[in-house]
Amino acid sequence: MTGITRRLFNTALGTTLAAGGLSTGILGSWTTPAQAQQGGVSVVTVATIGEPPTLDPVGTTSDLVSIITQHMFETLFTFDGDWKLAPLVASALPQVSVDGKTYTIPLRSGVTFHDGSTVTVDDVVASLDHWTKASPRGKTVAPLVESIAAKGADAVVIALKEPFAPLTALLAMNNGAAAIVPKSVIDGPGALKSLIGTGPYKLLEHKPDQYIRLVRHDAYASPAGTPSGYAGSRKATIGEVRFVPVPNAATRVSGVLAGQYQFADSLPAETLPRIKDAAGVKPVIVKPFGFPLMIMNTKTGVMANPKVRQAVLAALDPNDMLLAGFGDPEFVQAEGSIYAQGTPFYDAASAKPYSDHASGKAADLLKAAGYKGEPIRIMTSVQYEFLYKMSMVAQAQLELAGFKVDLQVLDWATLLQRRGDDKGWDAFFTYHTFVPEPSLITVLNPSYPGWWDSPAKREALAAFNREMDPAARKAKWVTLQSLFYSEVPSIKVGEFYNLAASSDKLTGYTPTPWPFFWNTDLKG
Amino acid sequence: MLVYIVRRFAGMMVVMLLVAMVVFLIARVVPGDPAAVMLGSSATPEDIAALRGRLGLDEPLLTQFLLYLGQIVRFDLGDSIFLNRPVVQALAERSELTGLLTMMSVGIAMLIGVPVGILSAAKRGGLVDQTAVGLAMLAASIPSFWIGLTLIKYLAVDHAWFPVAGYGPPDADLLERMRHLVLPAIALGIPNSALILRFTRTSMLDVMSHDYVRTARAKGLPPLVVVLKHALRNAMIPILTVIGLTTAVMIAGAIVTETVFGLPGVGNLIVSAVLRRDYPVIQGALLVVSAIYVLINLTVDLLYAVVDPRVRY
Repeated sequence: MTGITRRLFNTALGTTLAAGGLSTGILGSWTTPAQAQQGGVSVVTVATIGEPPTLDPVGTTSDLVSIITQHMFETLFTFDGDWKLAPLVASALPQVSVDGKTYTIPLRSGVTFHDGSTVTVDDVVASLDHWTKASPRGKTVAPLVESIAAKGADAVVIALKEPFAPLTALLAMNNGAAAIVPKSVIDGPGALKSLIGTGPYKLLEHKPDQYIRLVRHDAYASPAGTPSGYAGSRKATIGEVRFVPVPNAATRVSGVLAGQYQFADSLPAETLPRIKDAAGVKPVIVKPFGFPLMIMNTKTGVMANPKVRQAVLAALDPNDMLLAGFGDPEFVQAEGSIYAQGTPFYDAASAKPYSDHASGKAADLLKAAGYKGEPIRIMTSVQYEFLYKMSMVAQAQLELAGFKVDLQVLDWATLLQRRGDDKGWDAFFTYHTFVPEPSLITVLNPSYPGWWDSPAKREALAAFNREMDPAARKAKWVTLQSLFYSEVPSIKVGEFYNLAASSDKLTGYTPTPWPFFWNTDLKG
Repeated sequence: MLVYIVRRFAGMMVVMLLVAMVVFLIARVVPGDPAAVMLGSSATPEDIAALRGRLGLDEPLLTQFLLYLGQIVRFDLGDSIFLNRPVVQALAERSELTGLLTMMSVGIAMLIGVPVGILSAAKRGGLVDQTAVGLAMLAASIPSFWIGLTLIKYLAVDHAWFPVAGYGPPDADLLERMRHLVLPAIALGIPNSALILRFTRTSMLDVMSHDYVRTARAKGLPPLVVVLKHALRNAMIPILTVIGLTTAVMIAGAIVTETVFGLPGVGNLIVSAVLRRDYPVIQGALLVVSAIYVLINLTVDLLYAVVDPRVRY
């Protein structure tokens, strides 16, 4: 062997042996997988479904963003355990004028930002103004706003051009949020210059695709009251909440079972038995959580004919679709009411057409509609497997009823882009997370793809939004839901629940659609 | 050799320019919109259009391409739309993990593939050879994600010898970070070891049928000397080629393994960028990976001359 060859061989051999040797050394240095205590600070590691697109809570309605940012940012109001409005940065619920057009919101004193400064009325006015320009939710309110102004040093007045009952619910949402931030971090309608809020946790470090570290805001000023849902007092007992993006669901399950994560969100339903059987971990089932939707194009193409949409409703069997999508009946409910049983806006009677499915009826409706076999272009995505499975069942059922279906399987980003073009599709599958206020449901927004904007719906929605009395609002919601089932802008497939898993060591956790970790603790 | 290297570098520049053009066009031709992904599924077309304007995505394609070319000439890969940092920084943050993972998995693949390949060739047709070939077939057939999930189940969940996923806590030292890469390196290394094993075996068998090997045996040299000194040196060129290719592919090709183990490496960065349509990251990452690929190929070509004196540039 020549010198060169020997050196080459030695190098190759050295590399391989080094890798093996290091592996042995690494295994030898093994301690414990759980990172529950670091430097004397308790750490809760939360495995999320991926990396959030932003940490600015105002400009996006992404649930993943709000799960994280609700620890950093607070709104004037929030929701309690019964989904009723409660004050957060406000000191009390707003005083609403008799004509329903003026909201006077008193502010809590002594609330501090993460930079140590105290929240002033100017900060609140600037934040609300920013919300009307930057948030998808705020923009829907903007045309109705006459003015937003300070009233003294401890109250804000929102004057509207006409009554708008959902205003307070919109102000309480944690996504597309009316987050209270320092006036100095607002820079036009774009993203915030700095992520400074008033929440019980503040941002320490963000390494994209690796972790987001939130640490306790020591000067946090908590609202008063018994904790209930997102309302009441908030105590940051955990020193650090660390959100780790783990896109692979099987890895999230394994990580929480092994003790590497103290909480893992959005787990496949079929892993429930494994989680139930494991020691040191318990399943968390969130009800209500969300509902899958088949949105139809009411503006252009064959679906613009309401009779065709009614035929789709008659053709689909939601039970089959739900079981195909989720597998386990424990995680679904064939529920036609847009709001599930037990919530204030539940109404079964107006949702009766949901269960009147029959392919014969669908065929008659199609005949009456003059359907000539035009292909129905349905967009779906494998990135949400349950939506893809549901769309396959829908395709089979629609074809059985006489539809010709062109199922287009796209990646989610492509679907999001294509749905903006009303000439490019007839229906698409998506899902909606539970929202406490009906007017926040996207299908009701005439700008949302699907573009449901009939005169009857417009009038019913306006009446619902003007109505301030809760009982009368319920009656007007029933009218809207009846229209949802007669004009059929979308198909609500049913209810589905979310499975998460939590370490036994994590105490005080309250199951909610957007998991939060204040008022929790780690034992042991 | 210097002239050869200069000529290869010049060729590399042309390749890079072509890669830049192709990647730019493919990223734009594929439907999907970063603004829509960023704003969430409730966003209306008006919201999306406004954000596209702020991100400069509403500029004509040619304008965007010329701006991009201008950046490349200045060795600036632009800023990520989603990550709030320059693409170069995003790549640098992931290069440690990817470098370590590549080194460890190639190490494991070589440790298994080269010695077993030599042994298999030396014992051709015997039990050792048949077993090795059979196992190599099996290893090449098993997808790395399945190996990864199996390793997680038995070594991380059931026995807690290794962490399930991630690259360690923020304050982790190098050893701790490498401990997080052991299972992914095995999952990646095993299928690649099969490839190296088969190339080593084939190359050795080819060389061992030559006259000079027979002569060496006839001289009465010990079998170990014949195999390692006379045969292996001449069999090294195909082995080096496959090791070089394996290394290059692993830099961005460990996507599935990185996903299974939740590793924020370069492969993961590229996949996330594609799903989010983060154009600057897609373009920048693929350009850098292509450059590394070309450089590794150049290095392997230069190593031929080191291993085989007949090769001259």
